[in-house]
Amino acid sequence: MKKRVLALTLTFVMAVSALAGCGGDKKSEGGVIKLGGLAPLTGQYSEYGEGFDIGFNKAIDEINEAGGVNGYTFEIEIKDTQSEPVTTSTMATAFAEDEEVMALLGDFSSGACKATAQICDSYGILQLSPTASASDYAAMSKYFFGIMGRQDVEAPFLAKYVLKEYLKAQKIAVIRVDSDWGKSCYDNFIIQAEKEGLDVTVETYATGEKDFSSLITKMQAENPDVLVVMDQGDPVADIFNQADAAGWKIQHVALGPGTSEQVAGRLNDKDNLIVTSPFFFDPDDAELTAWAEWFQEAADFAPTIHPACAYDCVYLIAEAVKNIEGEVTRDSLRDALAELPEYKGVTGSIKFEADGDIKRNYMICGIEGGEWKVLEGFEYGAAGF
Amino acid sequence: MEYILNQLINGICQGSIYALMAIGYSVIVGVVGMVTFTYGEIMMIGAFSSYYIFTGLGNNLPLAIVGAFAGSFIIGSIVYKLCYERFFNAPRHISLLCTIGISMLIKNLAQIVFGPDTKPVLNVIDNTTFTINVFGADLNIRLLQIIVIILVIVFAVALTLFFNKTKWGVMLRAVSQNKDASYLMGINVKRTALLGNCIGCGFGGIAGILLALYYGSVSATMGASYSTKAFAASVLGGLVDIRFSALGGLCIGIIENMGIIFTSATFRDVFAFAFLILILIIRPQGFVSKKGARV
Amino acid sequence: MMQQAKAFYEKYKVIILIVLVAVLAVLPFVIKKTLYIRYLCNIMMYATLAGSLNAINGYSGQFCLGQAGFFAIGAYTGAALAKNFGISFWPLLIVGGIMAMLVGFVVSLPTLRLSGIYLSIVTLGASEIIRIIAQTWEPVTGGSMGIKQIPYPEFFGLDMFKPQYYYYIFLFLLILFLFVTNRVLKSRVGRAWMSIREDEIASKSLGVETSRYKSTNFMYGAFWAGVIGVAYAPFVNYIEASQFTTDTGFNVLAMVVLGGQGTLAGPILGSVVVTVLTEALRFLESWRYVIYALLIIFMMWVRPQGLMGASNSMLAGGKIKVKEEKKKGGEAK
Repeated sequence: MKKRVLALTLTFVMAVSALAGCGGDKKSEGGVIKLGGLAPLTGQYSEYGEGFDIGFNKAIDEINEAGGVNGYTFEIEIKDTQSEPVTTSTMATAFAEDEEVMALLGDFSSGACKATAQICDSYGILQLSPTASASDYAAMSKYFFGIMGRQDVEAPFLAKYVLKEYLKAQKIAVIRVDSDWGKSCYDNFIIQAEKEGLDVTVETYATGEKDFSSLITKMQAENPDVLVVMDQGDPVADIFNQADAAGWKIQHVALGPGTSEQVAGRLNDKDNLIVTSPFFFDPDDAELTAWAEWFQEAADFAPTIHPACAYDCVYLIAEAVKNIEGEVTRDSLRDALAELPEYKGVTGSIKFEADGDIKRNYMICGIEGGEWKVLEGFEYGAAGF
Repeated sequence: MEYILNQLINGICQGSIYALMAIGYSVIVGVVGMVTFTYGEIMMIGAFSSYYIFTGLGNNLPLAIVGAFAGSFIIGSIVYKLCYERFFNAPRHISLLCTIGISMLIKNLAQIVFGPDTKPVLNVIDNTTFTINVFGADLNIRLLQIIVIILVIVFAVALTLFFNKTKWGVMLRAVSQNKDASYLMGINVKRTALLGNCIGCGFGGIAGILLALYYGSVSATMGASYSTKAFAASVLGGLVDIRFSALGGLCIGIIENMGIIFTSATFRDVFAFAFLILILIIRPQGFVSKKGARV
Repeated sequence: MMQQAKAFYEKYKVIILIVLVAVLAVLPFVIKKTLYIRYLCNIMMYATLAGSLNAINGYSGQFCLGQAGFFAIGAYTGAALAKNFGISFWPLLIVGGIMAMLVGFVVSLPTLRLSGIYLSIVTLGASEIIRIIAQTWEPVTGGSMGIKQIPYPEFFGLDMFKPQYYYYIFLFLLILFLFVTNRVLKSRVGRAWMSIREDEIASKSLGVETSRYKSTNFMYGAFWAGVIGVAYAPFVNYIEASQFTTDTGFNVLAMVVLGGQGTLAGPILGSVVVTVLTEALRFLESWRYVIYALLIIFMMWVRPQGLMGASNSMLAGGKIKVKEEKKKGGEAK
């Protein structure tokens, strides 16, 4: 009996103290625009979430230190979603309910971003995602915006310019992650690949898979010219390393990781990887280099395009606020963002299309001597499709 | 044909790692008399111990194996104290839930301590591939695969010798067969069970380092899927029989890899589980000939 | 103190229950923050799901680890039929439940030959197979893309998108579940389940057809998991296979065991504790799972029968039970 009381009390105390920790709404003063950040601070995408956190806050600190925009200063509260659609929509509801929150920034994965369509529509709050790249994302809601660029540009670019023209490959083996993102990538890729007359074999693996040896053996038996991996982060390096370990000499191409230092650092044979990237930390560009160095210091890892996009997102909101005459409301902010003229951010020039996303141009990058290099610049794919 | 044989080699290699996992698992279940859901995290600890040895002290495989064994052995004793010792006579679900709790605890602490990212384990063994011509088909066997298979055989034989030739081994077998009778024969059941659990965990740790070598990476969440594989393999072997558990592991590895020939890789777990359920329906006691399981 | 409370409850049972339901019914009008109403919805949903698992584990003593699978069957049946054929939500509740029940029947077939941990692993394996099928069977389940924008239930033109209204669906299902289960447990069937839990051989020798009752028990638990699955899908509006992993199953199991197996109130309390802890500790980021894990282990050491469980039940654990009884003598009964 005593133990039951003890256990009940203890649980109760834990629950109450936990609740007390998160309660209490802050009322902000008139001139503050509050933003709601959605990011995977924990879980499998946590390194990107951390990048978001740093990128958002850096931009906000800079803007506020410069005296704000039109008399407004900014603040952001970031909630952890693990990029799980259900958690994301719960957190988005929480922000949407809070009338002081003017816009949502995030989330990381396309799947999580898409989950909030209903919420953004019915609360009339815009969502600007730094990284969602599924080609049907921005069209889902008039409140959806994205600046990562679209897969229906990047994946065809890979097929036409990287594989067909640059590598002059004919037989392609694709290994892709079986996710919303991976499927969308492949679907866009295969349309162009068929136009180019490429011979494509594809295999998929579930998220979280570690063992690719049987997949590699299967692909090896097809005897392709190029091995393409469509995924982000660790699995890309794992697959190429396991292919190397199996003694398979083949050109490696990846769609998704961009010029990620993390992937490069983990590769066994670094100089054999070619990627597409809309963005490159050019060592000759002083501003970019300073940004990258600063990020390296704050985060303890080298930046990819993802935190840079997060950083640009805040500036885009600030630009939109600058263009609003009169009161800043959720609706006026959305309209101002949609009509924003071309903006030059860290990640390049940004101009929203009618759907609310942007089209980026792509470069071909590779690693030489352990350093990312641009193999072919933007002009290579300028001819379009 | 070549392709099928190459997949078979993959299957045998992966199956032998599963076999080592299953051996460790069935030792634990045998001497403790309860199942565990912590095994995947034990393997992860073993893999991380070896990772830190590789990065800190260079690519010294024997040292890493000792380290992995020791790391898992220690965690095993903690698991024993928290999950089993107190609950020998309690309903089974209590210790089972405890192991689920410990599994969550270790996994999340590991994510905080080791970091959430995957860490590479590369070039411990040279990337040499031998091509053997068998009846006109070129078979690719990697040095790594040969080493993995040899290590599994060595450890399996060593454990069998330990069980059959030493005093401790005999005590472990006695406890595994009948705790009450062992107690009456003057065996310290609790201490023996502790030792058995730790040895089983140590084998899990060695399986963990083989996984790290074979897949070239370690991560805090790697344990989950292998835990169910080890569980399934030892159920096939009747849960407590070491030899049949090893056979079960080998079968699951081969079936998974051969299944990929016909369909997509996303189905691999379906093959393993469907095979398991099928066997259980036809022969509830697994491969074992007599009804030996008491669990 | 506890006994007094119990006596008080027995005396004014009807009044207390009516007051409780009334309080729950007006809550959405009192609480203004939608987020908190969403949490309440989550709690009631998990309470029903944990209750359905409890109907199996707590009453017939079979140890099912695969409740996430039945839950998934309900969710996917409801979502796919509503999305592709525009079938209304209300009949789907029954359809999803029956689908899960049929799968529950298939899963229960090996139980005629298996027991103990072998049974558990069959349920675990079945749950994983269901999840992988959901992840790969693209025409029906959407494969890895999942099913998005699942239509909301319609109810007199109310905007069911709002958790304030959806709340009542979960409340209705929870009360219905508790009411029906309470009746079933008091019937011949329920008594047969409990006799199997306490001593299968004895109940067999007394003429209980144990295999039939074990099978119906599985189907009953699966049915309710399916029903709540149908209700879950439109609520989150988006389902994908990763929402139905074994971890989801373990989470529900933890709710049942923390709250107390074999009691109707236990799973509800378990759901409250687990949801409040994991949501309220969100600011601790990864540490909240560590605390949750510690709580599970702590509970198993201190109160293995769960918060609501009776200390003299066989679920409380042999050794600890003996100790407590010795301490208190006859008074514990």
